[in-house]
Amino acid sequence: MNRRDKSFVIGGLIVALIIAVLAPFLASADPDGLESAAEKILLVEETEPLFEAPLPDYLVPAWGESPLGGVVSIVLGTIIVFLAMVGLATTARWFKPGNNSDT
Amino acid sequence: MHIPDGFLPLLQAAIYYIITIVALYFALNWAKQNLDEKRVPLMAVLAAFIFAIQAMNIPIPWGTSGHMVGAALVAIIFGSPWAAVLVLTVVLTVQGFFFGDGGITALGANILDMGVIAGFTGYGVFTLLKKLNLWVAIFIAAWASLFVAAIAVAIEMALAGTFPIDLGLFFMGLYHAVIGVAEGVITVIAILAIQKARPDLLPWTNKDTAEVEK
Repeated sequence: MNRRDKSFVIGGLIVALIIAVLAPFLASADPDGLESAAEKILLVEETEPLFEAPLPDYLVPAWGESPLGGVVSIVLGTIIVFLAMVGLATTARWFKPGNNSDT
Repeated sequence: MHIPDGFLPLLQAAIYYIITIVALYFALNWAKQNLDEKRVPLMAVLAAFIFAIQAMNIPIPWGTSGHMVGAALVAIIFGSPWAAVLVLTVVLTVQGFFFGDGGITALGANILDMGVIAGFTGYGVFTLLKKLNLWVAIFIAAWASLFVAAIAVAIEMALAGTFPIDLGLFFMGLYHAVIGVAEGVITVIAILAIQKARPDLLPWTNKDTAEVEK
């Protein structure tokens, strides 16, 4: 990676993290399109999730509804997604025939 | 439009998983052939941006909100819908397993709707319209990606017996026709920002990638 690429990646990450920090304060708490439709027309019983996520609804359970839990969750998620994407894309490239030779 | 657990019978959920795994196989093949070293971090930054902006729900009328999906954005920047499949697979998997956003049983369907269907719709519409005007094409492609994905969800919900078909299509279509405007605006702004900072990263200003994408 050259310097321009590096500064683009860092700049992009900063933008993503700023959005992550602001989201819990700015985001609408109203149900989303699918939830809203479900409230009106759902034909089946709602069920509990099959799997208890560690940070359900982008909140830290121990901190209740505190927006700080939202900030921690979304910042953490942003970083996890970044690293997972690097991991998946790098792994895919490993299988390229005759790799390591491209720039 | 993340489908939760309980909205899909397990057999149907399994079918969507299988379709998604086949799509993921093609997406990984695309990455193997087309992702060069400098575009791996670009893809990762885009994935991080999309995760963050998906948490930013924008209010729309009717006491409802919506957020961007980002599949058209990725497909247009990388010049391939397979890139959108890869990015949305990572975003939706992290959302499901860490944050309970979208059910684990519905993850296959969610990747199919917001990755495969949104990515191919966005890419297809952009390819059809880009000759007319680049920015209009980007806006309409992003709008259509969200709208068509929402229609796909409504059809899946009807097949599952979870929503009635007529009202499901009406409400999902209505809400996402509005949310799609936000998708279009944010997609245009994001691509404008990249065009300003690094025009060489975009397929229409980079002759090398334009050839590879053929």
